[in-house]
Amino acid sequence: MPGPSAKDGSHSPDFDRPDTDRFGTLVHAVARDRDRMAFAALFRHFAPKILQYCLKLGADRGTAEELVQDVMLTVWLKAGSFDPAQATVGTWVFTIARNRRIDHLRKEMRPAPDPDDPAMTPASHATPEESAQLVQSSRQLHDAIGSLAANQSEVLRRSYFLEQTHEEIAKDTAVPLGTVKTRLRLALQHLKSSLRDEA
Amino acid sequence: MTLPLHHPDDQLLIGYASGQERAGKSLLVATHLAYCPDCRQRVASYEALCGEWFEDLPCPDHGALDALLDHMDGLLAAALPTAETASLKPLDAGSIRAWPVPEPLRSWLPKAIDTPTDDGTWREISKGVWLSGWDRTLSGTTICLLRMASGAPVPAHRHTADELLLVLRGAFRDEYGSYALGDVAQYVADTDHHAFGASEEDCICLFLLDGELIFLDEDGKPLQPTRS
Repeated sequence: MPGPSAKDGSHSPDFDRPDTDRFGTLVHAVARDRDRMAFAALFRHFAPKILQYCLKLGADRGTAEELVQDVMLTVWLKAGSFDPAQATVGTWVFTIARNRRIDHLRKEMRPAPDPDDPAMTPASHATPEESAQLVQSSRQLHDAIGSLAANQSEVLRRSYFLEQTHEEIAKDTAVPLGTVKTRLRLALQHLKSSLRDEA
Repeated sequence: MTLPLHHPDDQLLIGYASGQERAGKSLLVATHLAYCPDCRQRVASYEALCGEWFEDLPCPDHGALDALLDHMDGLLAAALPTAETASLKPLDAGSIRAWPVPEPLRSWLPKAIDTPTDDGTWREISKGVWLSGWDRTLSGTTICLLRMASGAPVPAHRHTADELLLVLRGAFRDEYGSYALGDVAQYVADTDHHAFGASEEDCICLFLLDGELIFLDEDGKPLQPTRS
């Protein structure tokens, strides 16, 4: 039986809500009202993270600051395309930062499917069996990610997110190189074990 | 509708999601995603994981960024929200026998893919097996098309690095399985595999190779490259 505190919770103002909701509300305010205050709040939260991300991936300070502006300007312009059903604001900002730094730091463009492309196979083309499989596969991967051992998750993070070499990871975490390789292999096996049954 | 059964491994999917994977293999992964709702949701899960790591980044200095925020004032005022300017490449450009290849590959392909095999567009490497004259090198990965007539075996070859195939038309088979539209076959360096066309029409694949590809003659000796 819900106590009084739960009842009070239903009247709680925006700032009491979990961050994910709060940021979603801010992005929505930017999209709908061109709300500068909301933008400033998003900037204060995300700009330091974008800066840190770019610095860790080898940008110098000047380039990293340019990228912060570039990413936040994209947030300002594309706020209307943010879809809370698809991703959290943090993940959305990460994907923008990822794409911009690939452009800037690697001078490459990142190939991506176009969701408006009529030649793309929509999930709705799946048979009922395939649809059930899709739901199950998503849940299994979610569980696998959630149950990764901490040291395996850390090696994944350094290897894929920070793009460190095995040698760099060994040095930074003071772990033998062989152990780094083993942990990475085990982490990938763990994720793969959640893979749909291959015919 | 049958969705793809053979997918890029998780190393490629997480590398694509994090941005660690380079452009060449990303082109194949992204094109597979257009065919495969399962891998799209898998990549979304890995992006969410990266989003958590992004949120967890330590942020030592806030002060210096305030100046940057002030500086953005002018930028924000000047910038107009972009209407989605996405200009889709016409479907008939980069299509195989009127079947459009999905983006992002479509924008890379030359206009007519399914041309006769004797007009110089395709280079025959053995009976019933061709490589496209079109090729690209992207972040060190060589990209072209491989075409196999029904039952035609790809000649023995050796590759010193990873080899990847994505089926764009028809089907092929090897000792590991049967591959149809949207399926990915992934072979690590120095593995033996024997692919042959397994559909009535010619099978056409996107073909990616990290290192050098050396075709072997009947005695297993390297053939002279016949690049035009």
